[in-house]
Amino acid sequence: MASKAFEVSAPARAQERSPWLTRARKESIVTWVGLAFFLIIALFPIVIMLVTSFKQAGDLISVQTPPLWFHKWPTFAHYTYLFKQTKFLTWAWNTIVISFFTVVITLILAVPAAYALARLHFPNAENFGIGIFLTYLVPPALLFLPLTIILSRYVNLIDTKWALVVVYPTFTTPFCVWLLMGFFKTIPIEVEEAARVDGCSRLQAILRVVLPLSIPGLLTVAIFAFTLGMQEYIYALTFISNSLEKPVTIGVTSDLIRGDEYFWGELMAGALLAGIPVAILYNFFLDHFVEGISQGAIK
Amino acid sequence: MSLTRTPAAAEAAAVAVAPQREAGRMRRMVRGEAAFGYLLMAPVIIYLALLLLYPLLLSVWFSLTDASTGQPFGSWVGLKNFTDVWSNETFRLALRNSFIFTFGSEIGKAILGTVLAFLLLRRFRGKKVLRALLVLPWTVPVALTTLGWLLLFDPTFSMLNRTTSAIGFPYHPNWLGEPVPAMIAIMMANIWRGFPFSAIILLAGLTSVPPEILESAALDGCGFLRRFHYIIVPMIAPILFIGLLFDLVFSFTDLSVVYLLTRGGPENTTHILPELAYQNGIQGGDLAQGAAISLFMLPVFVVACVIMLRILRRREI
Repeated sequence: MASKAFEVSAPARAQERSPWLTRARKESIVTWVGLAFFLIIALFPIVIMLVTSFKQAGDLISVQTPPLWFHKWPTFAHYTYLFKQTKFLTWAWNTIVISFFTVVITLILAVPAAYALARLHFPNAENFGIGIFLTYLVPPALLFLPLTIILSRYVNLIDTKWALVVVYPTFTTPFCVWLLMGFFKTIPIEVEEAARVDGCSRLQAILRVVLPLSIPGLLTVAIFAFTLGMQEYIYALTFISNSLEKPVTIGVTSDLIRGDEYFWGELMAGALLAGIPVAILYNFFLDHFVEGISQGAIK
Repeated sequence: MSLTRTPAAAEAAAVAVAPQREAGRMRRMVRGEAAFGYLLMAPVIIYLALLLLYPLLLSVWFSLTDASTGQPFGSWVGLKNFTDVWSNETFRLALRNSFIFTFGSEIGKAILGTVLAFLLLRRFRGKKVLRALLVLPWTVPVALTTLGWLLLFDPTFSMLNRTTSAIGFPYHPNWLGEPVPAMIAIMMANIWRGFPFSAIILLAGLTSVPPEILESAALDGCGFLRRFHYIIVPMIAPILFIGLLFDLVFSFTDLSVVYLLTRGGPENTTHILPELAYQNGIQGGDLAQGAAISLFMLPVFVVACVIMLRILRRREI
């Protein structure tokens, strides 16, 4: 921190003397020093995870050497252990299955509702829209206890991945309705009217004209629901204890920690392998997510 | 009486009938459209009623009975669970911790997020890649990155302490082993996780202010502070507010950081409400008490909803 302040102020003092240090150069130095600071904060834990996942057991345990670098040759042992001795691949597959069906159910629920809210005039449409936006705020922490009972007593889905498939759309659907509403509103109504003049029924106009035009929107929403499904923790922790049915977030965090015994190398390897794909997907979606939120604020 | 009507009268009658017929057709169409609208809304409304509204009511019911996970439909005990919970030392501490955890994290996120947002507003090369790296704490699932923090805080390896002492930072507590450092630790992990989101939301707000307005204000002799106060803040306030509300509710009700890092320890000093509800309700099997604990989060949610509603309503005027 001290060195950062120094770097900024020293060139500033030199400004009158040296023509090299233009105003633009000074600003860019400030920018890069700031960015470097934030990069260190953001990446430090992740780099530690990465290094640890490749460290030999002896290297990890030696406390005298700096933790950020290797002092013995890197090893793939933790990754091979993860694939061969644990159920990592099963967990990863479960996550994909759960997220895929979450997307399917989300789209089935959200597309008609979003179309109705964007296009049709019916009493209380506005209130329904706001109501659905608000349900996005209902936290899982209020629901996991009663849902456990519903899933175990009413339908016998508890302890299977289908329990998560049934429940995940509760938090994906509201935001997706809201996002899709925005997409549908950008499609000119004339396109739809032209289709109806040409003899399409309203439903046909939706299926043949509106939906094909909103494929980018549908894809965005699908990616969003998929990412949220891959990230979820509370419901999976509460509903699933059978190791074979766990999604990867729960598999890695609970099955690789046994009592006081931590398999650090495997833990970090698993966390990164499961986490980085989610981060990449999420990054694609980030701008739309922000758009969705600001759409609520300014119409 | 005349059977013959003049052409003029017939025409007048036709003109009078036409709008009536037109209005009838319109009414039928409107009614058809409304029916179609409700039909399209039905699946989502039924689904949310079954899996969101019903569980919420069920939770209230559980909290008023002596339900357990073995016997979920127990008998009525009135407000006993709430009074029991309220008189419990651990619960009160968890309630206090929840607020400290949430607001402490929110302040940290606001400070780091604001600085980062203004940095990202500048022009520089490789912005896309840098942004993707800077938002990693937010985009990697929190449960997984928290494992990294668990390793950083672990007393055997004490990676965080070794790194901070290398740059001369003097504070080296046993992070997860003592009450105050443990609270700081869970907040640190939570702030780290959330600051990129604050930055991104603020950035969205800042870029939504048209630069022409700022330029003309500057030409009119408006200094940076006045521009900030009179133009930037009012224009981005709604976006910030919605982002902040989302963040508040999720921070307040997320158990993953605390559950993975401390499980409420050492000696029950770092419990927060959602994590305590999970421990009592699921692991302890005391459904009724778990429900009562989780319902203490309801007021926060309701307040957030009311504020959100006001913002959403205002934008229409």
